[in-house]
Amino acid sequence: MRVEYINPFVEAAFNIIKEVLQCEVNREELYLKKSTQPVMGVAAIVGLAGDVEGRVLIDMSQETAIKVASTMNGEELTSMDELVKATITELANMVTAQAVTKLHDLGFKFDLTPPAIITGENMQVSDINVEALIVPLGLPHGKIEINVAIRERLGV
Amino acid sequence: MKTTSDFPSINERTPVGQMDGRAIKVLIVDDSMFVTKQISQILTSEGFDIVGTAADGAEGVEKYKELFPEVDLVTMDITMPRMDGVTALEKIVEFDKNANVIMVSALGKQDLVKKSLMLGAKNYIVKPLDRKKVLERVISAIK
Repeated sequence: MRVEYINPFVEAAFNIIKEVLQCEVNREELYLKKSTQPVMGVAAIVGLAGDVEGRVLIDMSQETAIKVASTMNGEELTSMDELVKATITELANMVTAQAVTKLHDLGFKFDLTPPAIITGENMQVSDINVEALIVPLGLPHGKIEINVAIRERLGV
Repeated sequence: MKTTSDFPSINERTPVGQMDGRAIKVLIVDDSMFVTKQISQILTSEGFDIVGTAADGAEGVEKYKELFPEVDLVTMDITMPRMDGVTALEKIVEFDKNANVIMVSALGKQDLVKKSLMLGAKNYIVKPLDRKKVLERVISAIK
């Protein structure tokens, strides 16, 4: 997995989160996760296909998701309702859109699926033969992990 | 007798969402509840009147025709299920060539924004939405 693909997602996540939440964001140590990975409870997932294929997950706990959505909406939200889901989906949408713009500028060509959001306890994501790079971002609302699993398309 | 000029008002600025003292009527077309809410908060706080919302392009066109001519401005998302924003824009302009449609898009859709402007969109806004920019672009679209 080449770092050129990862950086735009990390930078975009960093910038967008800082902008919409108006808070300090700390980049923590990167790490790799093997193909079966537990996720924290709320995962916005975006698929990529084209020159590269894979997916990007924006992963956080329910508690963090509710806090993030509350800040973005400027009101106190208390449960994982439709508005919280729509807000986190939109956050993922903005991050991936900005990242893909950067990647297009670098000459990579591929498309994105609209973000889907999955929520639940004890979930795992499995990607066959792809290791995921995890970039944890620390913010006052809790931890958000940018989870990127991308590979160059086979046979290209 | 005192006239109003004796009491200089601190509220002299008329809200930007008013033309000739009448609220500007807006239709919001967006599949994200969050974005719809955000746009509606920004605009209502400035005196605009949200007369309708739609969650996809097809519903947006329908609502526009239904509300016509009581719509001064449409905010149109680009990526939506059923019918995308560019197609919906085309259909609205076909129906009313004077329609004021402003496109809302995340980065990465420059081609579609360009296409929309050629099809008759009056302006565009990029997400994440910045209050000041939204108002600026909206006002320039209805002038």
